[in-house]
Amino acid sequence: MAFKLTKSLASRIVFYVLSFCVFLFLISLSVFYFFSKKTIEDTTRKNALSLMESTVFKTEQILLTTEKISKNYKWLIESHQLNCDSIMFYTQLIVKNNPEVIGCAIAFEPEFFPEKGYYFSPYTYRENGELHSTYLGSADYDYFIMDWYQIPVTIEQPYWSEPYYDSGGVDALITTYSVPFYRYSGQEKALAGVITIDLSLEWLTDIVSSVRIFETGYASVISRNGTFVTHPKTELIMNQTIFSWAYELESPQLREIGRDMQAGNTNFVSYVKGKTRWMISYTPLGSSGWSLAIVFPRSEMYAPLRQISIVLIILIVVGLGLLTFIITKIVNEQIKPLRYFAKSAREVADGNFDNKLPEIKSEDEMKDLLNSFEHMQKDLKSYIEHLKETTSAKEKIESELRIAREIQMGMIPKIFPPFPDIPEIDIYAMLEPAKEVGGDLYDFFLIDDKHLCIALGDVSGKGVPASLFMAVTRTLLRSIAPKQRSPKVIVDALNKSLSLNNESSMFVTFFLGIINIETGYMQYTNAGHNPPVIISSGGDVKMFEITKDIPIGLFPEHRYEEKEMHFLPSDKIFLYTDGVTEAENWDADLYSEEKLLKCLSLVKKSEPIEIVMSVARDVVIHVNDYLQSDDLTMMCVVYYGK
Amino acid sequence: MFRKTVLLTALLFFTFHSFSQLPKITFTPHWLPQAQFAGYYVAEEMGFYEQEGIDVEIVHPSASVMATEKLINEESDVISLFLITAISVKSQGVDLVNIAQLSQHSALMFVAKKNSNILSLDDLNGRRIGIWKSGFDEVPKAIINSNNYNVTWVPILSSVNMFMIDGVDAMTVMWYNEYDQIINSGFNEDELTSIFFSDYGYNIPEDGLYCLNKTRLQRYGDLEKFVKGTLKGWEYAKNHKDEALDIVLNIMREEHVATNLAHQSWMLERMIELIDTGKKNVKKGELAEYDFHKAQSILMDDGTVDSKISFKNFYKPVLGEPDK
Repeated sequence: MAFKLTKSLASRIVFYVLSFCVFLFLISLSVFYFFSKKTIEDTTRKNALSLMESTVFKTEQILLTTEKISKNYKWLIESHQLNCDSIMFYTQLIVKNNPEVIGCAIAFEPEFFPEKGYYFSPYTYRENGELHSTYLGSADYDYFIMDWYQIPVTIEQPYWSEPYYDSGGVDALITTYSVPFYRYSGQEKALAGVITIDLSLEWLTDIVSSVRIFETGYASVISRNGTFVTHPKTELIMNQTIFSWAYELESPQLREIGRDMQAGNTNFVSYVKGKTRWMISYTPLGSSGWSLAIVFPRSEMYAPLRQISIVLIILIVVGLGLLTFIITKIVNEQIKPLRYFAKSAREVADGNFDNKLPEIKSEDEMKDLLNSFEHMQKDLKSYIEHLKETTSAKEKIESELRIAREIQMGMIPKIFPPFPDIPEIDIYAMLEPAKEVGGDLYDFFLIDDKHLCIALGDVSGKGVPASLFMAVTRTLLRSIAPKQRSPKVIVDALNKSLSLNNESSMFVTFFLGIINIETGYMQYTNAGHNPPVIISSGGDVKMFEITKDIPIGLFPEHRYEEKEMHFLPSDKIFLYTDGVTEAENWDADLYSEEKLLKCLSLVKKSEPIEIVMSVARDVVIHVNDYLQSDDLTMMCVVYYGK
Repeated sequence: MFRKTVLLTALLFFTFHSFSQLPKITFTPHWLPQAQFAGYYVAEEMGFYEQEGIDVEIVHPSASVMATEKLINEESDVISLFLITAISVKSQGVDLVNIAQLSQHSALMFVAKKNSNILSLDDLNGRRIGIWKSGFDEVPKAIINSNNYNVTWVPILSSVNMFMIDGVDAMTVMWYNEYDQIINSGFNEDELTSIFFSDYGYNIPEDGLYCLNKTRLQRYGDLEKFVKGTLKGWEYAKNHKDEALDIVLNIMREEHVATNLAHQSWMLERMIELIDTGKKNVKKGELAEYDFHKAQSILMDDGTVDSKISFKNFYKPVLGEPDK
């Protein structure tokens, strides 16, 4: 019991506290996770951008240098009348002085120098560390339709070519920067040719390959047309464009990213490939029209957050474990007195009111409980003692009443058949008091050889006073009757005796009959009692005519009337008190005279004992266990005649 | 024992000898390796030529030596050429003959950007149109001239860069090649206006197989085997596209030609469509007389060709009964 109490209360408190804590932790963790994620995203975005910026800066150093060289020579050529034979020298100068430049051509329009013919394009290139010079242009190498010449001329702007492998076929990627130059005569501007600078892309590959972000993040460069210039997957370089790659990966999203890169935009987007989500940050690469992208798996970006979250979760789980332990301990400590109280209550229940209560030093609810418990213990003790006294007194009274009942029952004849020697008459009677002792009485006795006196009465009230009054009535009857032959005289005498000194104003309804056994005539007096039922030998069952007389014990001078009736052989008389007809059931329905007559009709041919018992059974059925409120008394006399 | 060894050696030698003695055909496609020639590669790789009883060597042209030169120099027995190029070459005195016409439809087209307000053929009037310097310019020029448009032809070597950078308003492209290069350079199909020559009555087929007339007379049987093997190769490629693409990509890698699956896959699909005869009243591999005359008339109209060649002299198929 003590264990169950502890389990239910302590564990319930722990459960509620813990649930709330878990809820609180979950909320906190979610908020932490959300904000950290956002911070990581922001930081990563910034890092990626700065990484891109620094990479672009490094790249632009070289691109800008190239652009500057071209610009200077463009100015030189446009503003000076150069000797055509000195042009080659310039190309040599450019390649020689700029280690990253691997080739330079200054190509002129057809017949620009008539003495040089249709094509004139001095060209110097570096091979194995040495400079070589040659002239480009022939029927087989019509440079006017080469992209490096035609495009800048057409768009009248410098142009960074698409990357290409050098003619040697080695894996050295090259791009060519071409700038158109003009001759001005007054307001007129005429195209003169194109300066080109070939740039090995080795340095770009080096710069971009060195970019590392997170575990497996990398950088890649795509050209204006989307061709991969650098990528960790070397098979993509120059073979795939970001668009053909998107087609192979079946990723329209990658295609859109490629288009955005191509448009020269800077962005930070996420991209899903298979089951992996990638983050791509991209920005244009100077004036080249190319775009630099930094790519890394999203999961790597959140790896530190995941680690912190795991540590946090472990800490929380351990913390919650400790919390559970401590709360359980505290709660158990706090409710310990309750266990003693429970034990004490059990001992009180067992009748031990003097058991020791736990000591409570604190001034709290437990102290209140202790005070109440002490008070209850004290009250219970005095109550039980009082109860003991009351119970013993009650038991004494009950025992006396039992004796009184035996005495009372001893007063009425209870041996049936009462007169086995007198075949003319048979009698059966019963008395069932509502309490231990009752106020009903019946009696029958022979006055002489010929006369049988039968009497049945009902004292007003119930219990001991009624029983005493009944005893007095019965004693008086027995002392008066043997000297008299007239019911009227007997009743008058009874009335007189009882009325005198009747301070408690009790009275008796009384029926007294004296039957002449030989003749079958019966004189009777009915002092306010229920009319008896006559069951004639012919089968009629009916009430006597109602006698209007008053009960005895009220007025000493009252004189009662006497009447006579004649029994034919086998006629029966059935006497009863109102305890029979007024027996109530749960619905407060009375047994009633109708039911009595009906019951008697069914057993009219039976012997008195059977008749009385049948009515008694019928009443029991009617009452159906409802409290018996009045004494139940019946008597049946049959006259068989001579 | 000794005799047995001799017999075995002789047998092995004989087998090897007879294998290596299969008549050899040297074939040169008219461009670098790509899915345009998938049928030949597949036939070689799958042993269809061997099954026919010939040994075929595929030799690609280089930047300096074109397929036609290889034919004239008799370095190659068979070459592939565009119909219109072949007529032009023949009219210049090279005695070549068409022994099979593989492509049955024109893949030539103009492509333009919708944002330059070119939505139909009419919109090309007054524009700059890119066209290959190396040839194949007869049909586009014929279309423009027949409509009396005034256009500026901008010669282009081979890339689509001029188009990409807005150096030209429109460009002559091959449906199976440059068009897809443009798509793979970032343009979406709905951003482009496609003008197919075949929609304007110029459905001149392209790829055909050619050899010198004398080669045909001398090696009729071998050529027949070559054409049969080639058709088998194309049929196999059509039914086993992934396998065919693997073969093509491997050859391209071996030849150090930049490529990717997306583009070659597109090209193979288009080539299979072009080889399909469709509603044309010809068998696979046959040259329709109408196509020949249409091509010749274009060449005569623009002055490239001044004397007519008869269809019979030009088209000499090697499938079926040899002519007398």
